[in-house]
Amino acid sequence: MREFKKSTRTSFAEAILEVGSENKDVVTVAADSASRYGDFVKKFPERCFNVGIAEQTMIGVAAGLALCGKIPVVTSYANFLAFRAIEQVRVDIATADLNVKMVGTDTGFSSAWLGFTHLALEDVAAIRSIPNIVIIDPADATEAYLATKAMFEYKGPVYMRLRGRKDEPVLFGGDYVFRIGEGKVLKEGHDVLIISSGSAIYESLIAWEILRQKGISATVVNMATIRPLDEALLLEITSSVRSVVTVEHHNITGGLGSAVAELLAEKRPNVRLLRMGVKDTFGTAGSEEMLKAHFGLDAKAIAERVEVFLKNDCENEVS
Amino acid sequence: MNLTEDKIGAIMKAAERIRKDCIWMSTRAGTGHLGPALSIADILATLYVGVMKVDPKNPKWPDRDRLILSKGHGCLALYSILSQVGFFDRKYLGDFCTKCDTLLPGHPELKLPGVEANTGSLGHGIAIGMGMALAAKLDGKQYRVFVVTGDGELQEGSNWEAAMAAAHHKLDNLVVIVDRNRLQLGDLTENISKLEPLEEKWKSFGWRVKSINGHDIKELLSTLNDVPFSIGKPSAIIANTVKGKGLKIAENKVEWHYKVLTKEQYEGLKEELALEELGNERI
Repeated sequence: MREFKKSTRTSFAEAILEVGSENKDVVTVAADSASRYGDFVKKFPERCFNVGIAEQTMIGVAAGLALCGKIPVVTSYANFLAFRAIEQVRVDIATADLNVKMVGTDTGFSSAWLGFTHLALEDVAAIRSIPNIVIIDPADATEAYLATKAMFEYKGPVYMRLRGRKDEPVLFGGDYVFRIGEGKVLKEGHDVLIISSGSAIYESLIAWEILRQKGISATVVNMATIRPLDEALLLEITSSVRSVVTVEHHNITGGLGSAVAELLAEKRPNVRLLRMGVKDTFGTAGSEEMLKAHFGLDAKAIAERVEVFLKNDCENEVS
Repeated sequence: MNLTEDKIGAIMKAAERIRKDCIWMSTRAGTGHLGPALSIADILATLYVGVMKVDPKNPKWPDRDRLILSKGHGCLALYSILSQVGFFDRKYLGDFCTKCDTLLPGHPELKLPGVEANTGSLGHGIAIGMGMALAAKLDGKQYRVFVVTGDGELQEGSNWEAAMAAAHHKLDNLVVIVDRNRLQLGDLTENISKLEPLEEKWKSFGWRVKSINGHDIKELLSTLNDVPFSIGKPSAIIANTVKGKGLKIAENKVEWHYKVLTKEQYEGLKEELALEELGNERI
């Protein structure tokens, strides 16, 4: 792990500036959220449209722009994009297969003290209920940068999760490769498979080290693309590893854990699964560290539960 | 006869054809929003025959004027006029709500040539139109974007978000036409959630507004050819209409929001309204 820190928002803004400099069709639409586009706004003001605090209008405007050949990116707090404007996302963007890039910020616990209105813990579930939208949950600033570039190479609707303003540990170096739809094996082991995404990757990697010291060998997969899920990779690993744990800073209903459960229930019925995430309850206010501990989703809690899960080999732990 | 009179005659003929097609399609299908389609027949006929620059043989022509039927349930009228001006063969009109996965469903979809946006859920059209209008400004193109909304539809708050933003962005290439038939699904708009004073609402949101008779072709033509009413401002036209216009038993009747003729009623009216044979596969 590298030492320096950077926010996913910062690298998103850097990538948008690069993509927008190369492609004049890239436009940004903001709902009083223009600061998330960073220097793009200063450099290309004519391609930045702020509609005010009006997320539904932001999505509709993006649809209109896309229907005229533009490649709009929209951004807002994930909850206001994925919930307040969800009907526009469904009707205006997804069914029409429009080339719009939707970026929800402050996902997981990153909005911290703003409380449950802002903590985006159900956004993936909401977007995943709508067909035809790629869902990306980058683990760090490097992956957020690469995923931003990748989503513009893909033609069609994409939803990407970013976090707050805070700088976070950068996990991946310049040689890291991101491809939509590809899970990445970050650590290889044989006792248990940990599948995670977004901000939960950092905690999962520390948990891997705690487990290693206890003699437990885990594979850690970064499933940065939640849809389409990298089924081939998971089926390959679960042909030998029979204990699977999903870790997400999201509700256990409808997100990464659900996606994995749906796959394994149909294709690997003999695999044991533990879904770790927010257990079908709402977020609350606290610092990020407090919230991770509160919901049992920091590295220590992850390692402990994985250990218990592996010990209770015969017991089907589901909660 | 001069050019304008010729044009008015052609528009009236197209509007008449819209009404007959709407009645024919909906009776054959046994479903459809007939009343809301009949109230916009004159508006759509005027736009497509007398105002808009479109190329039906090249439906994606980048410089075309766009029309978004935000009140997507009025699609019977849209299907008729799109077929009349040549976006698709009129033989497809018989597919309205009679075939699974039809190109002509109960609300319009992009898969049908000439349809510019998926609509059906109310309150989406103005924002989409605003996006198209912004794209025109960005590209230095001259095309206009026309959005036809219902009046009851204006109870959706999303319209007013978009109205505020469109005026802020000075989109004088955006035109909203409100089909002011005064009825919505359940009752008069004014009995459900008052829209009046409607002109003042649009004005206060920064739009230039004109209130007209939405069935007077001459007035429709002159008004629609007069947009933008002000440089730097979007235009709103409140078209006062009669729901079910042209079908006496449906006119101004709330229940005809989503009601169609029975086949027996159709046969009874066939001669008077010069309607097509119901059994024909195409018209």
